[in-house]
Amino acid sequence: MHIISNLWDYRHLTLKLAISEFKLRYKNSILGFFWSLLEPLLMLLVLYVVFTNFMRVNVEHYQLFLLMGIISWNMLSRGTTMSLNSIIGKPGLVQKVYFPREVLVISSCLTALLMTLLEFIVFGLFMLIFNVMPTITIMYFPPVLFVEFLFILGLSLGLAALNVYYRDMQYIWAVVMQAGFFAAPIIYPVSSIPEKYVWIIMLNPMTRIIDMLRGSVIYSTPPVFGDGIFILAAALIVLAAGYLIFLRLEPGFAEEM
Amino acid sequence: MDAVVVDGLWKTFRLPHEKRNTLFEQITGTLYGKKGYEEFVALKDINFTVKKGEAVGVIGENGSGKSTLLKIIANILRSTRGSVKIQGKITPFLELGVGFQPDLTAKENIYIYGAVMGLSDKEIDARLSEILEFSGLNQFQDAKLKNLSSGMQVRLAFATAIQTNPDILLMDEVLAVGDMDFQQKCLDVFQRYLKEKKTIVFVSHDLNSVRRFCSKALLLRHGEQVAFGETNEIIDKYVYGVDDKATHADNRQSEPKKEEGKIEEKKTRWGNKKVKITNVRFIDKFDRENERFMSKDPLLIKIEFESQEEIINPVFGVIVHDEKENWCIGTNTDVVNLKTGKIKNFKAVELNIEKLPLNQGIYFVSVAVVSEDLKETFDYLDKMYKFNIINTSKEYGRFLADYNWKLIGENRYGPKKF
Repeated sequence: MHIISNLWDYRHLTLKLAISEFKLRYKNSILGFFWSLLEPLLMLLVLYVVFTNFMRVNVEHYQLFLLMGIISWNMLSRGTTMSLNSIIGKPGLVQKVYFPREVLVISSCLTALLMTLLEFIVFGLFMLIFNVMPTITIMYFPPVLFVEFLFILGLSLGLAALNVYYRDMQYIWAVVMQAGFFAAPIIYPVSSIPEKYVWIIMLNPMTRIIDMLRGSVIYSTPPVFGDGIFILAAALIVLAAGYLIFLRLEPGFAEEM
Repeated sequence: MDAVVVDGLWKTFRLPHEKRNTLFEQITGTLYGKKGYEEFVALKDINFTVKKGEAVGVIGENGSGKSTLLKIIANILRSTRGSVKIQGKITPFLELGVGFQPDLTAKENIYIYGAVMGLSDKEIDARLSEILEFSGLNQFQDAKLKNLSSGMQVRLAFATAIQTNPDILLMDEVLAVGDMDFQQKCLDVFQRYLKEKKTIVFVSHDLNSVRRFCSKALLLRHGEQVAFGETNEIIDKYVYGVDDKATHADNRQSEPKKEEGKIEEKKTRWGNKKVKITNVRFIDKFDRENERFMSKDPLLIKIEFESQEEIINPVFGVIVHDEKENWCIGTNTDVVNLKTGKIKNFKAVELNIEKLPLNQGIYFVSVAVVSEDLKETFDYLDKMYKFNIINTSKEYGRFLADYNWKLIGENRYGPKKF
């Protein structure tokens, strides 16, 4: 509790850092915003062409299914990747002033969240184009996204702290993210997995998170209560573990850099 | 009320032999079982208390642990042992412009830097015009920071930083950067903080500012706390090293210096050694050997010698040069008509300068002994010794004179004396 109230005092700085980082991302080119959207859209195009024509995936609204998967996965990979550098990338702030170092990680995750929200706006346009209207189940979208944010924050805290001591963490993590993209049901539905392997893929919290996001926005299916509990529990455990690692390593940050 | 209480503080750094910076190196290193680091004690058992509203200067040579101490007080580094207790909001001024984003505008950076220094948007809104005014950047407020000169950036950072309203200020040589004008501004702000009864911990090499602003000082040497107390007393200790630890340290230091002297012997020493100078010592007002002196303090140069033959009335001479090899002081026993007599009975000759007239700087000393008719050189040690002069007053020039200023005018009581 004390920690949280202490962090609350720094909310202003956290937001300021997150927003300035967000601005920086788009400031260097007028088309910055569109460039950043180009990447997921190009990926969507390639995957769409490959999987509808050659692999014959049979999913209703496959374009939206795929785009939702890519955007929500990108939030994870972008958030954690940016956070990995959030501490070692700011030696001035770490070595010359004091504020709780969590601020740096949280603000990186917030920047990633902001960028993802922009992509969701584009997603809304796509829904209009394909004439899919969300129903009342869209109210489950924000809480599920929030749980994903907690999950990302937990991973980020642990990874950012470890990366100060072991700089190859970022390369290891890049490989994990690459593999994760294919291990999670982003381009294929869970139903296409052989029955006996489904439990493995369901262990990954991202599987349920992505499915619930899709259900609530595209298919008007409310989340299963048990799934909700599962992802919340997973996110909280990861958050606690990540934060413990962070607190353990935090005292040495300024010396290690 | 105590603002900062440092109690039994130790700090040890691990200096890795090979920095293991990756998981891969960590694993291979552990497998081969190497001990990967050396321990370095940066601070040993530091104890002091800063009362509320007090300004304390931390002095000591490079590497004595001053900055480490400041960073521990600021909570940037953590102590290995001991504790630091802080009462009040603390702001470290270790570097100006921390967190500046070169790609954002000057105005945006004011807000970011302000947030880093603990100011809210509202507080900055209220002071924005003042900040821009002070830094002289009104017309550039929407220019990207990277397009401003480094001087402008420093001014911007400084103008923003001084808007913070901390209870405790930590300053690390911030005053050392910038031109004269800027330094004066810094001093003014310092003065303002003093007037507002802020607590200040100030690390500096500039003894002059420490003497002017700080009522108390802490002296560190090789990570150890040598003394803590009234500023003038501590500065004296710093300059003259009046304590036992210091003489040990100095002895240790002076040995390799003698080695250096020997190496250069061919070049800088000549003469037939009929009278041989064995040692030259600089003695301070506390009767201790030293190589640092304050302006207007006494300096005793003691020249020890030995001679195998009986030499009558040799002439001993001393020349003090400045860094540019100008002669500053030149004297010998002949110019004052001192007959040294049968030299075999003596061991040393002393030159006592009662009041050093030299301003701050490094001075080199040549010492020589020649025959009575000045034609035969027995031993000549050219600029083989040196000492440092420290001056805490602000006069300019190479030399210091005894003087006073008078204002002459219509005053019927006659000239006014200052």
